[in-house]
Amino acid sequence: MKKTLLLVMCVGLTGRAAAQAGSSVSAHAVVVTVGMTISTLRDLNFGTVIKGVPTTILPTAANAGEWQVSGSANAFIVISFTLPTQLTNIQALPGSTMPIAFSGISAIWRRSTNNPVGGTVFDPAVGAVGRLGPPSNFNMYVWIGGTVTPALAAKPGIYQGNVVVSLIYQ
Amino acid sequence: MMRALGLAGMLALASASLAAQGVMVAPHAVFIDHRLRSGSVLLYNPGTEPVEVSISTIFGYPTTDSAGRITLDTLLADSTVSALGWIQAFPRRLTVGPRERQTVRLLARPPAGLPDGEYWLRLVIAAQAGRVPITGVADTTAIQVGLTLEVRTIIGVNYRKGPVGTGVTLSQLSARIVGDSLITRSKLERRGNAAFIGMIRETLVDSTGAVRGQRVGDSLVTTFASPIGVYVAMQPRLASAIPHPGLPRGRYWLRYEVVAERDDLDPTVVLKAPAVRDSVQLVVP
Repeated sequence: MKKTLLLVMCVGLTGRAAAQAGSSVSAHAVVVTVGMTISTLRDLNFGTVIKGVPTTILPTAANAGEWQVSGSANAFIVISFTLPTQLTNIQALPGSTMPIAFSGISAIWRRSTNNPVGGTVFDPAVGAVGRLGPPSNFNMYVWIGGTVTPALAAKPGIYQGNVVVSLIYQ
Repeated sequence: MMRALGLAGMLALASASLAAQGVMVAPHAVFIDHRLRSGSVLLYNPGTEPVEVSISTIFGYPTTDSAGRITLDTLLADSTVSALGWIQAFPRRLTVGPRERQTVRLLARPPAGLPDGEYWLRLVIAAQAGRVPITGVADTTAIQVGLTLEVRTIIGVNYRKGPVGTGVTLSQLSARIVGDSLITRSKLERRGNAAFIGMIRETLVDSTGAVRGQRVGDSLVTTFASPIGVYVAMQPRLASAIPHPGLPRGRYWLRYEVVAERDDLDPTVVLKAPAVRDSVQLVVP
């Protein structure tokens, strides 16, 4: 019964619950226990930067990158990052790049509360073990900032790169 | 029922976050029986934009570093318990449309003569959200900088053949109060031929035998519980918060137990094993 209820709830998400409700649920039904959702709430956006002037975005800033993780209450989640060292100008000839760096205070994680102030600061190059919130609010939030250093001779255009966050469930 | 409520709540939350881009992965642990040799993972996109997903597999399992932090060890010399070479995931690439769900199938082709036991790998689900929206591109002299964030969810896949059993031993238990936190450390070693999937429970009692509450988020709990997976051995460091204004002077006992129970997993996949218990005294000067 429990498995059936879980499956029906899942099907209900797609708006097809009514179509399914009258039919029998196959014994082959996937047992859907609590899953894990990682959502990108906000990308890391430096906006317009000035040649020769390093620009730092703190993880507490409004334009820091942010993820929300939901899953099993109180679960430990290993957080690790794959970080770029160079950003590429997608509008210029190949080879036009800009350095980007991350420091020991460039990332924050926090249970339950969607506010980086008061969260646990960590070095994204090292990673951390975060924790989802208690049953009433089984979320965890992760923020990331960084520093870009555009050279005086940097070519105009849009510089982009990828930050990969890996979350490992026990 | 708790699992049902948890899933419903999580999905409701996901639906409410219209701006968010990501994918829900369920279940967060896959157990494959040798008689069936297949499994599946459901992906659901709660967002309003399509999400590109790629699937890969690695071998590794949780362990702890010297500070007791849990890490995923992927540089393992002993790969006799690896299922990496013979479990495959299909499809490897897919696009999950807005509010759509798709299934990733796991197909096992174990080698002939595979000994009874449990074999492991990790499934990596990488989801790529949209590109960074950068404005002001009409200004051809400006420099615009943005980074796209990609997420990877890494879940365990446990393949079981024949009789499997598990257990855990507990030793080197220690506890101390640091500031407003209760810090514990113990050594856990797996027994049997399968991973020990369970919970650590910690209860703090004073000299009268009364249970002292611990704080978890905004809640007060009498027992601090933490999910744990002991694949070989680990020495986890746990920290819970002591409610304000802290503990009065005196002697306390920490009761520590490791049980083969998990609320977040189907009970049929959690291998039964005897609970192990220990306790240690703390003195608040």
